Amino acid sequence: MPSKTIHIIFITVISGLAWVISFPLNEWFSDTMPRHQLLQLPAMLLLGILAGLRYSRLIPIRFPWDVALLIFIMASLVFWMLPRSIDTAVIHPAFNRLMHVTMLAAGFLTITVLRQTIFEIRIAFMAMVSVMVFVTGMTLVTFNILLCSSFNIDQQKETGLRLLITGMFFAAGTLFTFFSGLGKKT
Amino acid sequence: MLQLSPLEIKKNRTFIKVWTITFLIVFPLLIVLGLLMRLNQGEEINLGMDKFYVLMTLHGLGMAGLLFSTSFAALWYLIGTRHVKLNLGIGYLVYFLILIGVIGLAYATLLGKFGAGWYLLYPLPFKNAIWPAWSTGLSIVSLIILGVAWLLGMLHVLYVLAKEYGGLTNLLGWQYLGKKEVKKELPPIVMITTISLIPGVIAYLAGAVFLVMFLMQFFEPTLTFNMLLMKNLIFFFGHTLVNITLYCCLGWVYALLPEYTGRKWVTNKVLVYAWNATFFFIIFAYFHHLYMDFAQPLGLQYAGQLASYFSAVPATAVSMFGVITQVYHSKIKWGIVPLSFLIGVGGWAVGGFAAVIDATISVNLVFHNTMWVPGHFHTYMLGGVVLFIFGFFFYLSHTREEQEKDISGKAGFWLFVLGAHCFIATFYTGGVNSIPRRYADYKGIPIESTHLIGAFLARLAAICIIIVIIGFLIMTFAILVKLIRKRVAITEPVQNS
Repeated sequence: MPSKTIHIIFITVISGLAWVISFPLNEWFSDTMPRHQLLQLPAMLLLGILAGLRYSRLIPIRFPWDVALLIFIMASLVFWMLPRSIDTAVIHPAFNRLMHVTMLAAGFLTITVLRQTIFEIRIAFMAMVSVMVFVTGMTLVTFNILLCSSFNIDQQKETGLRLLITGMFFAAGTLFTFFSGLGKKT
Repeated sequence: MLQLSPLEIKKNRTFIKVWTITFLIVFPLLIVLGLLMRLNQGEEINLGMDKFYVLMTLHGLGMAGLLFSTSFAALWYLIGTRHVKLNLGIGYLVYFLILIGVIGLAYATLLGKFGAGWYLLYPLPFKNAIWPAWSTGLSIVSLIILGVAWLLGMLHVLYVLAKEYGGLTNLLGWQYLGKKEVKKELPPIVMITTISLIPGVIAYLAGAVFLVMFLMQFFEPTLTFNMLLMKNLIFFFGHTLVNITLYCCLGWVYALLPEYTGRKWVTNKVLVYAWNATFFFIIFAYFHHLYMDFAQPLGLQYAGQLASYFSAVPATAVSMFGVITQVYHSKIKWGIVPLSFLIGVGGWAVGGFAAVIDATISVNLVFHNTMWVPGHFHTYMLGGVVLFIFGFFFYLSHTREEQEKDISGKAGFWLFVLGAHCFIATFYTGGVNSIPRRYADYKGIPIESTHLIGAFLARLAAICIIIVIIGFLIMTFAILVKLIRKRVAITEPVQNS
């Protein structure tokens, strides 16, 4: 199959999935906090990562732009975890779609930057993201006051618990990447 | 041996000079904070409680950070000029991030009156704090910046070493444990660096978790995290950082002492077993900080005692024995560098032994909140790490002949050692007399003898600190004169015989 056709199919599939998640299934995803935070948001991030895996090499990113982009990615993740952002996203679908676009971009840029940046920055970024996810989970589990009025306290705690577990997996992944990076021979 | 161009050597020397001068400026300022604290405890001045705890916080955080940063910078220089080329761009990035962090901390404490101690005892900074909330936030952000800086530096050194020596297992020296012939010799400094920095990276992860949790609570004060979890995270981070500071210093003792004794100090099976054991125990030794926490599972308390005992034996015993075999009948000329290393190792041994005593649960029940605790960590920090650092600075600034003949440098050194050990003795004497630690003054103690002894020892300590400062200034002058006036090519070590 010609490569141009493959590109078209790939982009169509990614765009189609993004559209399905963002439009027809948006109401279902916005129904509960775990669905919104643990399925919809990561799904968009994953689509961005998939696109990044295929096209990241086309965009050369050098220091210090890699650091700037990683800060942008980190800030995006933090912003879309803030209770007020979550509430607004659930209430206003247009705002929710802004989150989707940001997550797609963040996913794409994450893989693009991580592939090209130096080992030290890669590990530091992964460590900080895993810490952030872990602590957000810990906060949601610990907090007995409802943070997002669109959801309920049980959903908040369930989201927290799953984020906590995800954070641990991320931390394990960071350590794995760190040790495997040190293990590679010249 | 790594081949460097004259320009690369010059760049490396400039980098370490920047660190040297930074240390020589910041260290006495932090000592003065300690002096003011002891004068307040001795009732010679009246700082008030709020200022005392501000000084204690900055003194603790500042010293721990400065000593680790400087020992890491020295290790960076020795590795970067002898074994692998390190990226000085990252080196300076780390330096400037540390500078930003230190400025933030100084601002938060001195102007913001943040006084929660180095351990930021949770939930103290958020419950009825007498300082403004912004200073807590600034302190947390500054510590995060410091952590990121150290993490980047540690990762860089580890990564470059791994590439050079063929992976992590080789860096840990495991090739020496098999029967195959070792193709590329592993210098002890490289193995010790690895064993110091990997726990550092893991501890940083724990540090980042509690700092981000602090940040969350800063933004949402009604949050309450599990206090025992917080304390575990804080002490895992803090204890490991202090421990690896010592090990970083030992790295360069292993590298530099043989140049004076003319004897090889190479990696072998014993060294590999000993340091790999330390690698494991260092992670669990911090539990001894939590003996007072009744909610901590009992098994972890026992694990803390055992890990503390075991962590002390391999590296300490092997290194002590190594130092003795290095200097015994070696016809060494006792210039200021080997002297610093030898007496520094002594300080490390005494402080380490005092630490092991304190890590014994039954003893800790009595000693935990007494002056014994600052006594032991001042022994291995002031009487160990600082002497190692000065040894390195003299190595950097003086030629071999100057090291042996520099009368003023030696006078400053002996004055410093005398003052430091007398100062430390006031802590131990305080410990055995049940003088409590972390008290701004002893006026409120209803037992009059404790009050009087505490205040007297504090005054005595203040005199000792003045002697330490005089010794320090003499040594600083001796180092700066040589460091600034001329260029000394030190990067080529004397070959072992």
